Amino acid sequence: MSLADRLRGLGKVEELKDGVVSIEVPPEDLKRVAEALLDLGFDHLVNVEGVDLPSEGKIGLIYHASSYEGEFLGKLIALKTKLDRSSPKVESLMDVWPNAIYMERETWELLGIEFEGHPELEHLLLPPWWSDIPPLRKEFKVKQEGYIVDLTR
Amino acid sequence: MSCPRSGTILVGELEECAKKAARWLVERTPIRELRDWGISFSLWPVHLTTSCCGCEFAAASDPRFDFERFGFLPFVSPRQTNVLFVEGTLSKKMAEAAKIIYQQMPAPKFVVAMGACALDGGIFHNSYNIVKVHEILPVDVYIPGCPPRPEAVARAILMLQRRVRSGKYTWEGVPK
Repeated sequence: MSLADRLRGLGKVEELKDGVVSIEVPPEDLKRVAEALLDLGFDHLVNVEGVDLPSEGKIGLIYHASSYEGEFLGKLIALKTKLDRSSPKVESLMDVWPNAIYMERETWELLGIEFEGHPELEHLLLPPWWSDIPPLRKEFKVKQEGYIVDLTR
Repeated sequence: MSCPRSGTILVGELEECAKKAARWLVERTPIRELRDWGISFSLWPVHLTTSCCGCEFAAASDPRFDFERFGFLPFVSPRQTNVLFVEGTLSKKMAEAAKIIYQQMPAPKFVVAMGACALDGGIFHNSYNIVKVHEILPVDVYIPGCPPRPEAVARAILMLQRRVRSGKYTWEGVPK
């Protein structure tokens, strides 16, 4: 029984290339699905990332988990959810994967996603006096735009 | 001991006169040149690796290029050094540390900005988290390159030595 078939009941499952499986769930189911993944053997979190989607009014949140042993050794799984852009809030997954602490802190700082239950949501890469909006939001204005060279002309 | 007050006043004036005389003597040509010559071969950089140019700086210090030949010996404590090498990108949090280190260094002190990021931001020129070195510190020598070769660092050291020997530096932070 393949991994995608096992996950079928948990959310919207999609098989990406190189054997990566993605599963999309509503935000309130995130922790439950994460615990199910941990039981399957996905024992460590690789990465937490966010995508700003202003045209949909959403912020995408992706957890990448992988496995060090067992049946799914070396398999990568992407746990995706979409949050409301005006007040993005989700339950922290630190209880499931404790190494989420710094990754969630960084995602909070750069995209403004509130993680409920996270013990220290403080600035990590940005200076502590940062008062502007989170810098990876699309409406953040940089001082000078980059130069674009159109090679198709 | 019978009249301590007048004694201290007399000694104080003597000290002041002696200081003035010593400063006058040091600022004359032969002694000043000797002092500047000594400073130019005692440029000791502090170990502040802000970014990836630190690799080239480390390569510059190792036996192949060996900058100790120029009297250029990296030290750990800012209080024993007089050159601050800003090695590449300076983020906002690191800029605070660089400024504190610069304030801790004894005078005369020099700043060298190394790499494209320290000059003008480099590939991070429009980043939200970057500080250009000349905005917070008085830079003496700029080294272009991404990253600069150890030979370029050697050239910067020689330029800085020439600058010191010609007396073009200030005693910032020293009471007159």
